[in-house]
Amino acid sequence: MTDEQFNKAFEEAQGQLKSYILRITASIQDTEDIVQDTFIKASEKLSSFRGDSSVKTWLFTIASNLAKDNLRAKKRWTEDVTDICKAKALANPDYFPEVMYIQQTSTHGQFEIKEHITFCLTCISKSLPLEQQICILLKEVYAFKVSEITIIMDNSEAMVKYYLHTARTKMVDIFEGRCALINKEGACHQCSELNGIFNPKQNFEIEKNKIEMAKIGERGEKEHLLDLRLQLMKEIDPFDSNGSDLQLHHLEHNRKIMENFS
Amino acid sequence: MEKIKPNGVAQTTKKTFSRETGVSIDIYADASILWALLTNASDYPRWNSTVISIEGEIKKDEKIKLKSVLDPKRVFKLSVKAYEPEKKLVWGDAMGQREYLITTIENGMTNFSMTEKIGGPLFPLFAKMIPPFDASFEQFAKDLKTEAEQISNTK
Repeated sequence: MTDEQFNKAFEEAQGQLKSYILRITASIQDTEDIVQDTFIKASEKLSSFRGDSSVKTWLFTIASNLAKDNLRAKKRWTEDVTDICKAKALANPDYFPEVMYIQQTSTHGQFEIKEHITFCLTCISKSLPLEQQICILLKEVYAFKVSEITIIMDNSEAMVKYYLHTARTKMVDIFEGRCALINKEGACHQCSELNGIFNPKQNFEIEKNKIEMAKIGERGEKEHLLDLRLQLMKEIDPFDSNGSDLQLHHLEHNRKIMENFS
Repeated sequence: MEKIKPNGVAQTTKKTFSRETGVSIDIYADASILWALLTNASDYPRWNSTVISIEGEIKKDEKIKLKSVLDPKRVFKLSVKAYEPEKKLVWGDAMGQREYLITTIENGMTNFSMTEKIGGPLFPLFAKMIPPFDASFEQFAKDLKTEAEQISNTK
Protein backbone atom coordinates (compact mmCIF):
# COMPACT_ATOMS: atom_id res chain seq x y z
CA MET A 1 0.00 0.00 0.00
CA THR A 2 1.34 3.42 -0.94
CA ASP A 3 1.41 6.35 1.46
CA GLU A 4 -1.22 8.03 -0.64
CA GLN A 5 -3.55 5.00 -0.46
CA PHE A 6 -2.99 4.79 3.27
CA ASN A 7 -3.75 8.46 3.84
CA LYS A 8 -6.96 8.11 1.87
CA ALA A 9 -7.98 4.98 3.79
CA PHE A 10 -7.23 6.67 7.10
CA GLU A 11 -9.23 9.72 6.15
CA GLU A 12 -12.20 7.50 5.28
CA ALA A 13 -12.02 5.65 8.60
CA GLN A 14 -11.14 8.65 10.77
CA GLY A 15 -14.70 9.76 11.57
CA GLN A 16 -15.74 6.31 12.72
CA LEU A 17 -12.48 5.80 14.59
CA LYS A 18 -13.02 9.03 16.49
CA SER A 19 -16.58 8.28 17.53
CA TYR A 20 -15.60 4.70 18.45
CA ILE A 21 -12.74 5.80 20.69
CA LEU A 22 -14.84 8.55 22.25
CA ARG A 23 -17.53 6.02 23.11
CA ILE A 24 -14.94 3.80 24.79
CA THR A 25 -12.93 6.46 26.61
CA ALA A 26 -15.57 9.18 27.10
CA SER A 27 -12.70 11.64 26.81
CA ILE A 28 -12.32 14.14 23.97
CA GLN A 29 -8.61 14.64 24.67
CA ASP A 30 -7.85 10.93 24.90
CA THR A 31 -9.79 10.38 21.70
CA GLU A 32 -7.74 12.99 19.84
CA ASP A 33 -4.51 11.47 21.20
CA ILE A 34 -5.45 7.88 20.40
CA VAL A 35 -6.62 8.65 16.89
CA GLN A 36 -3.40 10.58 16.24
CA ASP A 37 -1.29 7.77 17.73
CA THR A 38 -3.17 5.28 15.57
CA PHE A 39 -2.17 7.26 12.50
CA ILE A 40 1.46 7.42 13.60
CA LYS A 41 1.65 3.73 14.53
CA ALA A 42 -0.05 2.60 11.36
CA SER A 43 2.23 4.83 9.23
CA GLU A 44 5.29 3.31 10.90
CA LYS A 45 4.04 -0.23 10.33
CA LEU A 46 2.72 0.35 6.84
CA SER A 47 5.42 -1.80 5.23
CA SER A 48 4.41 -4.76 7.40
CA PHE A 49 0.70 -4.50 6.54
CA ARG A 50 0.09 -7.55 4.38
CA GLY A 51 -3.57 -7.00 3.66
CA ASP A 52 -4.75 -10.03 5.65
CA SER A 53 -7.60 -7.86 6.84
CA SER A 54 -9.12 -4.64 5.52
CA VAL A 55 -7.31 -1.39 6.34
CA LYS A 56 -10.31 -0.37 8.44
CA THR A 57 -10.02 -3.56 10.55
CA TRP A 58 -6.29 -2.98 10.91
CA LEU A 59 -6.77 0.63 12.03
CA PHE A 60 -9.48 -0.35 14.50
CA THR A 61 -7.14 -3.04 15.89
CA ILE A 62 -4.39 -0.49 16.54
CA ALA A 63 -6.85 2.04 17.99
CA SER A 64 -8.53 -0.58 20.19
CA ASN A 65 -5.19 -1.67 21.64
CA LEU A 66 -4.27 1.93 22.39
CA ALA A 67 -7.67 2.49 24.01
CA LYS A 68 -7.26 -0.67 26.11
CA ASP A 69 -3.87 0.59 27.33
CA ASN A 70 -5.42 3.95 28.13
CA LEU A 71 -8.25 2.39 30.14
CA ARG A 72 -6.30 -0.39 31.87
CA ALA A 73 -5.92 1.41 35.18
CA LYS A 74 -9.30 3.13 35.08
CA LYS A 75 -12.40 1.84 36.81
CA ARG A 76 -15.43 0.79 34.84
CA TRP A 77 -18.49 2.93 35.38
CA THR A 78 -21.59 1.78 37.23
CA GLU A 79 -25.08 1.13 35.86
CA ASP A 80 -26.49 4.06 37.82
CA VAL A 81 -24.00 6.49 36.24
CA THR A 82 -26.80 8.84 35.16
CA ASP A 83 -28.18 9.08 38.73
CA ILE A 84 -24.73 9.73 40.19
CA CYS A 85 -23.83 12.37 37.63
CA LYS A 86 -27.24 14.04 37.79
CA ALA A 87 -26.84 14.48 41.56
CA LYS A 88 -23.38 15.99 41.05
CA ALA A 89 -24.62 18.33 38.32
CA LEU A 90 -27.47 19.57 40.51
CA ALA A 91 -25.02 20.21 43.33
CA ASN A 92 -22.71 22.22 41.08
CA PRO A 93 -23.92 25.84 40.68
CA ASP A 94 -21.81 26.31 37.54
CA TYR A 95 -23.15 23.32 35.67
CA PHE A 96 -26.45 24.63 34.30
CA PRO A 97 -25.18 28.13 33.44
CA GLU A 98 -22.44 26.42 31.44
CA VAL A 99 -24.78 24.18 29.48
CA MET A 100 -27.31 26.96 28.89
CA TYR A 101 -24.47 29.08 27.52
CA ILE A 102 -23.49 26.26 25.15
CA GLN A 103 -27.08 25.90 24.02
CA GLN A 104 -27.44 29.62 23.36
CA THR A 105 -24.11 30.20 21.64
CA SER A 106 -23.16 27.01 19.81
CA THR A 107 -24.37 25.93 16.40
CA HIS A 108 -24.11 22.39 17.81
CA GLY A 109 -25.91 23.12 21.06
CA GLN A 110 -29.36 21.87 20.32
CA PHE A 111 -30.82 19.34 22.73
CA GLU A 112 -32.35 16.37 20.91
CA ILE A 113 -33.87 13.37 22.66
CA LYS A 114 -32.40 10.88 20.19
CA GLU A 115 -28.90 12.23 20.82
CA HIS A 116 -29.40 11.97 24.53
CA ILE A 117 -30.49 8.35 24.09
CA THR A 118 -27.18 7.58 22.40
CA PHE A 119 -25.29 9.57 25.03
CA CYS A 120 -26.99 7.45 27.67
CA LEU A 121 -26.09 4.27 25.75
CA THR A 122 -22.44 5.39 25.72
CA CYS A 123 -22.50 5.93 29.50
CA ILE A 124 -24.28 2.68 30.30
CA SER A 125 -22.02 0.68 27.97
CA LYS A 126 -19.09 1.82 30.08
CA SER A 127 -20.49 -0.28 32.92
CA LEU A 128 -19.83 -3.43 30.88
CA PRO A 129 -16.44 -5.10 31.09
CA LEU A 130 -14.26 -3.41 28.45
CA GLU A 131 -14.10 -6.47 26.16
CA GLN A 132 -17.88 -6.64 26.09
CA GLN A 133 -18.24 -2.94 25.41
CA ILE A 134 -15.73 -3.07 22.56
CA CYS A 135 -17.36 -6.13 20.99
CA ILE A 136 -20.89 -4.75 21.05
CA LEU A 137 -19.79 -1.40 19.61
CA LEU A 138 -17.76 -3.01 16.86
CA LYS A 139 -20.54 -5.39 15.87
CA GLU A 140 -23.69 -3.34 16.31
CA VAL A 141 -22.52 0.22 15.66
CA TYR A 142 -19.50 -0.11 13.38
CA ALA A 143 -20.80 -3.14 11.44
CA PHE A 144 -17.80 -5.42 11.84
CA LYS A 145 -18.33 -9.15 11.36
CA VAL A 146 -17.54 -11.57 14.19
CA SER A 147 -14.57 -12.85 12.14
CA GLU A 148 -13.18 -9.28 11.92
CA ILE A 149 -13.74 -8.66 15.63
CA THR A 150 -11.67 -11.76 16.44
CA ILE A 151 -8.78 -10.02 14.65
CA ILE A 152 -9.34 -6.68 16.38
CA MET A 153 -9.68 -8.34 19.80
CA ASP A 154 -7.00 -10.98 19.17
CA ASN A 155 -9.41 -13.51 20.62
CA SER A 156 -11.24 -16.64 19.51
CA GLU A 157 -14.57 -16.54 17.72
CA ALA A 158 -16.13 -18.35 20.69
CA MET A 159 -14.96 -15.68 23.13
CA VAL A 160 -16.10 -12.84 20.88
CA LYS A 161 -19.53 -14.47 20.74
CA TYR A 162 -19.49 -14.81 24.52
CA TYR A 163 -18.68 -11.11 24.94
CA LEU A 164 -21.33 -10.09 22.43
CA HIS A 165 -24.03 -12.22 23.97
CA THR A 166 -23.32 -11.19 27.54
CA ALA A 167 -23.05 -7.52 26.57
CA ARG A 168 -26.41 -7.61 24.82
CA THR A 169 -28.12 -9.48 27.64
CA LYS A 170 -26.80 -7.06 30.25
CA MET A 171 -27.72 -3.99 28.22
CA VAL A 172 -31.25 -5.27 27.68
CA ASP A 173 -31.62 -5.84 31.43
CA ILE A 174 -30.13 -2.50 32.43
CA PHE A 175 -32.31 -0.46 30.09
CA GLU A 176 -35.40 -2.47 30.98
CA GLY A 177 -34.78 -1.65 34.63
CA ARG A 178 -33.78 1.96 34.16
CA CYS A 179 -35.13 3.62 31.05
CA ALA A 180 -38.52 5.28 31.53
CA LEU A 181 -38.87 5.54 27.74
CA ILE A 182 -39.42 1.77 27.53
CA ASN A 183 -40.63 0.98 31.03
CA LYS A 184 -43.00 3.17 33.04
CA GLU A 185 -41.36 1.92 36.23
CA GLY A 186 -37.89 2.85 34.94
CA ALA A 187 -35.86 4.99 37.34
CA CYS A 188 -34.29 7.30 34.75
CA HIS A 189 -36.31 10.15 33.24
CA GLN A 190 -33.31 12.22 32.21
CA CYS A 191 -34.42 12.60 28.57
CA SER A 192 -37.73 14.17 29.51
CA GLU A 193 -36.22 16.26 32.30
CA LEU A 194 -33.49 17.71 30.09
CA ASN A 195 -35.88 18.21 27.20
CA GLY A 196 -38.08 20.22 29.56
CA ILE A 197 -35.11 22.43 30.44
CA PHE A 198 -33.68 22.92 26.97
CA ASN A 199 -36.87 22.80 24.91
CA PRO A 200 -39.57 24.07 27.26
CA LYS A 201 -42.00 24.76 24.44
CA GLN A 202 -41.85 21.24 23.09
CA ASN A 203 -44.41 18.59 23.90
CA PHE A 204 -42.23 15.71 25.11
CA GLU A 205 -44.73 13.01 24.12
CA ILE A 206 -44.90 14.29 20.55
CA GLU A 207 -41.12 14.61 20.28
CA LYS A 208 -40.54 11.24 21.89
CA ASN A 209 -42.89 9.50 19.50
CA LYS A 210 -40.78 10.65 16.56
CA ILE A 211 -38.22 8.10 17.73
CA GLU A 212 -39.17 4.55 16.87
CA MET A 213 -37.67 3.03 20.01
CA ALA A 214 -39.49 5.43 22.32
CA LYS A 215 -42.68 5.22 20.29
CA ILE A 216 -42.82 1.43 20.63
CA GLY A 217 -41.74 1.72 24.29
CA GLU A 218 -43.26 -0.89 26.53
CA ARG A 219 -44.92 -2.70 23.63
CA GLY A 220 -41.56 -3.54 22.10
CA GLU A 221 -39.63 -6.75 22.30
CA LYS A 222 -36.62 -6.06 24.54
CA GLU A 223 -33.95 -7.24 22.12
CA HIS A 224 -35.54 -5.22 19.33
CA LEU A 225 -35.58 -2.09 21.51
CA LEU A 226 -31.86 -2.50 22.10
CA ASP A 227 -31.32 -2.87 18.35
CA LEU A 228 -33.22 0.36 17.76
CA ARG A 229 -31.14 2.10 20.41
CA LEU A 230 -27.95 0.86 18.78
CA GLN A 231 -29.28 1.90 15.39
CA LEU A 232 -29.64 5.47 16.69
CA MET A 233 -26.04 5.37 17.81
CA LYS A 234 -25.02 4.20 14.36
CA GLU A 235 -26.73 7.21 12.79
CA ILE A 236 -25.28 9.89 15.07
CA ASP A 237 -21.75 11.25 14.92
CA PRO A 238 -21.05 12.53 18.44
CA PHE A 239 -18.56 15.07 17.09
CA ASP A 240 -20.82 16.47 14.41
CA SER A 241 -24.43 16.24 15.46
CA ASN A 242 -26.97 18.99 16.14
CA GLY A 243 -26.21 18.84 19.84
CA SER A 244 -22.64 17.57 19.81
CA ASP A 245 -21.26 20.45 21.91
CA LEU A 246 -23.94 19.97 24.53
CA GLN A 247 -23.61 16.18 24.68
CA LEU A 248 -19.81 16.27 24.68
CA HIS A 249 -19.99 18.64 27.63
CA HIS A 250 -22.29 16.15 29.41
CA LEU A 251 -19.93 13.29 28.60
CA GLU A 252 -16.84 15.11 29.88
CA HIS A 253 -18.76 15.99 33.04
CA ASN A 254 -19.78 12.37 33.58
CA ARG A 255 -16.27 11.07 32.93
CA LYS A 256 -14.74 13.44 35.46
CA ILE A 257 -17.35 12.41 38.04
CA MET A 258 -16.99 8.68 37.39
CA GLU A 259 -13.18 8.74 37.38
CA ASN A 260 -13.28 10.08 40.91
CA PHE A 261 -16.25 8.08 42.09
CA SER A 262 -15.60 5.38 44.64
CA MET B 1 -18.42 -42.73 40.76
CA GLU B 2 -18.88 -44.69 37.54
CA LYS B 3 -19.08 -42.86 34.23
CA ILE B 4 -22.28 -40.83 34.01
CA LYS B 5 -24.37 -40.90 30.83
CA PRO B 6 -24.36 -37.49 29.08
CA ASN B 7 -28.14 -37.14 29.29
CA GLY B 8 -28.42 -34.33 31.82
CA VAL B 9 -29.87 -36.65 34.45
CA ALA B 10 -28.15 -36.54 37.83
CA GLN B 11 -26.95 -39.62 39.64
CA THR B 12 -26.21 -39.93 43.36
CA THR B 13 -24.17 -42.56 45.13
CA LYS B 14 -24.60 -42.74 48.89
CA LYS B 15 -22.12 -44.35 51.29
CA THR B 16 -21.89 -44.26 55.08
CA PHE B 17 -19.35 -41.48 55.20
CA SER B 18 -19.96 -39.75 51.88
CA ARG B 19 -22.40 -38.83 49.19
CA GLU B 20 -21.54 -38.13 45.58
CA THR B 21 -23.75 -36.52 42.95
CA GLY B 22 -22.88 -36.09 39.28
CA VAL B 23 -24.39 -34.97 36.01
CA SER B 24 -23.11 -34.97 32.46
CA ILE B 25 -24.41 -33.36 29.29
CA ASP B 26 -23.25 -32.79 25.72
CA ILE B 27 -23.29 -29.17 24.62
CA TYR B 28 -23.05 -27.78 21.08
CA ALA B 29 -20.56 -25.06 21.94
CA ASP B 30 -16.83 -24.54 22.09
CA ALA B 31 -15.00 -25.46 25.30
CA SER B 32 -13.88 -21.84 25.65
CA ILE B 33 -17.49 -20.66 25.93
CA LEU B 34 -18.18 -23.13 28.74
CA TRP B 35 -14.97 -22.09 30.45
CA ALA B 36 -15.86 -18.40 30.18
CA LEU B 37 -19.27 -19.04 31.71
CA LEU B 38 -17.93 -21.22 34.51
CA THR B 39 -15.17 -18.83 35.52
CA ASN B 40 -16.98 -15.47 35.41
CA ALA B 41 -18.17 -15.26 39.01
CA SER B 42 -20.35 -12.16 38.87
CA ASP B 43 -22.11 -13.34 35.70
CA TYR B 44 -23.49 -16.60 37.19
CA PRO B 45 -26.86 -15.28 38.41
CA ARG B 46 -27.62 -14.00 34.90
CA TRP B 47 -27.64 -17.45 33.31
CA ASN B 48 -27.61 -19.98 36.14
CA SER B 49 -30.87 -20.27 38.04
CA THR B 50 -29.29 -22.38 40.80
CA VAL B 51 -26.90 -19.64 41.89
CA ILE B 52 -27.90 -16.50 43.79
CA SER B 53 -24.43 -14.97 43.77
CA ILE B 54 -20.73 -15.68 43.66
CA GLU B 55 -18.33 -13.13 45.08
CA GLY B 56 -14.61 -13.16 44.38
CA GLU B 57 -12.58 -14.28 41.42
CA ILE B 58 -12.63 -17.81 40.12
CA LYS B 59 -8.92 -18.35 39.69
CA LYS B 60 -6.39 -20.83 41.07
CA ASP B 61 -6.03 -20.59 44.88
CA GLU B 62 -8.57 -17.75 45.11
CA LYS B 63 -11.40 -17.83 47.63
CA ILE B 64 -15.01 -17.31 46.63
CA LYS B 65 -18.28 -16.87 48.48
CA LEU B 66 -21.20 -18.72 46.95
CA LYS B 67 -24.90 -18.40 47.71
CA SER B 68 -27.01 -21.18 46.28
CA VAL B 69 -30.74 -21.44 45.72
CA LEU B 70 -30.56 -24.79 47.54
CA ASP B 71 -29.69 -23.07 50.82
CA PRO B 72 -30.16 -19.30 50.30
CA LYS B 73 -29.38 -18.26 53.86
CA ARG B 74 -25.96 -19.85 53.87
CA VAL B 75 -22.78 -18.45 52.36
CA PHE B 76 -20.35 -21.16 51.26
CA LYS B 77 -16.76 -20.04 51.59
CA LEU B 78 -14.85 -22.06 49.04
CA SER B 79 -11.33 -22.28 47.65
CA VAL B 80 -10.52 -22.82 44.01
CA LYS B 81 -8.41 -25.96 44.11
CA ALA B 82 -7.86 -26.75 40.43
CA TYR B 83 -7.92 -24.37 37.49
CA GLU B 84 -6.97 -25.84 34.13
CA PRO B 85 -8.38 -23.55 31.42
CA GLU B 86 -11.03 -25.15 29.25
CA LYS B 87 -10.55 -28.51 30.98
CA LYS B 88 -11.02 -28.68 34.72
CA LEU B 89 -12.23 -26.51 37.57
CA VAL B 90 -12.49 -27.60 41.19
CA TRP B 91 -13.67 -25.68 44.21
CA GLY B 92 -14.54 -26.80 47.69
CA ASP B 93 -14.16 -26.62 51.46
CA ALA B 94 -13.36 -29.05 54.26
CA MET B 95 -16.69 -30.81 53.82
CA GLY B 96 -16.51 -31.51 50.13
CA GLN B 97 -15.56 -30.44 46.67
CA ARG B 98 -17.14 -29.84 43.32
CA GLU B 99 -15.38 -30.74 40.10
CA TYR B 100 -16.26 -29.45 36.64
CA LEU B 101 -14.81 -31.26 33.64
CA ILE B 102 -14.93 -29.99 30.08
CA THR B 103 -14.02 -32.36 27.25
CA THR B 104 -14.05 -31.50 23.56
CA ILE B 105 -15.78 -34.35 21.75
CA GLU B 106 -15.46 -32.97 18.25
CA ASN B 107 -15.30 -29.57 16.65
CA GLY B 108 -18.10 -27.51 18.14
CA MET B 109 -19.32 -30.16 20.57
CA THR B 110 -18.25 -30.43 24.17
CA ASN B 111 -19.07 -32.70 27.08
CA PHE B 112 -19.65 -31.08 30.42
CA SER B 113 -19.69 -33.04 33.65
CA MET B 114 -20.01 -31.91 37.22
CA THR B 115 -19.59 -33.99 40.36
CA GLU B 116 -19.70 -33.07 44.00
CA LYS B 117 -18.51 -35.32 46.77
CA ILE B 118 -19.30 -34.43 50.35
CA GLY B 119 -18.23 -36.48 53.31
CA GLY B 120 -15.96 -37.11 56.26
CA PRO B 121 -16.06 -38.78 59.67
CA LEU B 122 -18.93 -36.55 60.86
CA PHE B 123 -20.93 -36.88 57.66
CA PRO B 124 -23.47 -39.40 59.10
CA LEU B 125 -24.47 -36.80 61.71
CA PHE B 126 -25.24 -34.15 59.11
CA ALA B 127 -26.36 -36.26 56.17
CA LYS B 128 -30.06 -35.74 56.73
CA MET B 129 -29.65 -31.97 56.94
CA ILE B 130 -28.03 -31.70 53.52
CA PRO B 131 -30.65 -31.50 50.78
CA PRO B 132 -30.36 -33.71 47.69
CA PHE B 133 -28.40 -32.12 44.85
CA ASP B 134 -29.93 -33.99 41.94
CA ALA B 135 -32.52 -31.44 40.78
CA SER B 136 -30.11 -28.55 41.24
CA PHE B 137 -27.38 -30.36 39.25
CA GLU B 138 -29.76 -31.10 36.42
CA GLN B 139 -30.87 -27.47 36.33
CA PHE B 140 -27.25 -26.27 36.39
CA ALA B 141 -26.36 -28.48 33.41
CA LYS B 142 -29.51 -27.44 31.55
CA ASP B 143 -28.86 -23.72 32.14
CA LEU B 144 -25.26 -24.07 31.02
CA LYS B 145 -26.30 -25.89 27.86
CA THR B 146 -28.98 -23.30 27.02
CA GLU B 147 -26.68 -20.34 27.59
CA ALA B 148 -23.62 -21.82 25.87
CA GLU B 149 -25.61 -22.90 22.81
CA GLN B 150 -27.25 -19.48 22.55
CA ILE B 151 -23.82 -17.87 22.62
CA SER B 152 -22.52 -20.34 20.08
CA ASN B 153 -25.38 -19.46 17.73
CA THR B 154 -24.59 -15.73 17.85
CA LYS B 155 -24.27 -14.48 14.27
